[in-house]
Amino acid sequence: MRHYETAFLITPKLNEEETEKLIQKMADIVAKKKGKMIKIDKWGKKKLAYPVEKQNEAFYVFFHYEGEPDIPSELERRFRQTESVLRYLTLRKEVQAVAKKKRRVKRKKAEEISEEKEDKERFKEDETFVGSDASEEEK
Amino acid sequence: MAREQRDRSSYRRYFPPKRKYCRFCERNIKEIDYKNVDILRRYVPERGKIAPRRVTGTCSFHQRKLSTAIKRARLLALLPYVED
Repeated sequence: MRHYETAFLITPKLNEEETEKLIQKMADIVAKKKGKMIKIDKWGKKKLAYPVEKQNEAFYVFFHYEGEPDIPSELERRFRQTESVLRYLTLRKEVQAVAKKKRRVKRKKAEEISEEKEDKERFKEDETFVGSDASEEEK
Repeated sequence: MAREQRDRSSYRRYFPPKRKYCRFCERNIKEIDYKNVDILRRYVPERGKIAPRRVTGTCSFHQRKLSTAIKRARLLALLPYVED
């Protein structure tokens, strides 16, 4: 089981009903493939940073789900076929992060102690060489 | 020469040349989410270019995360590729 996050943009040409229907259709694919939908995030219509397919707006939808790798591939295949989907992006979220965390915390603590020392040393240097920063960048 | 000076100062306006530090390390953030446009916006001043590490003071670990996040946001039209 893997945790995925899929985002896609729906063209504003569709009315609300059609948009809902499309989202429902995509959500059904996840359910059909025995995936577990965790969250559906709808941002609604949002202005785009640049026009996509001559549209200045799009309906943002985010799916968070768990399942086998065939779900995102199926979703993406559908997105490509559906003309009203402007863009899509699928990311795999790290679930192991929790297990790694413990190790990282330990390392972090060790780092913090050494960093503190370094910081103090660096601070001393800064006081003695005021403006050395700028001249270094010049080079 | 004068041009170069001005370019630098335009970045400097967003990140005044005080003591530089990584703003992500400070808050102990491990992942940078591409959906968090408000934060990403601060690292793409004016032209929509990713601000270099030497200006912002971001550590290499977070700069890598930051740049992938910005690129993802660009794909979904949350951030511009170019802006003028």
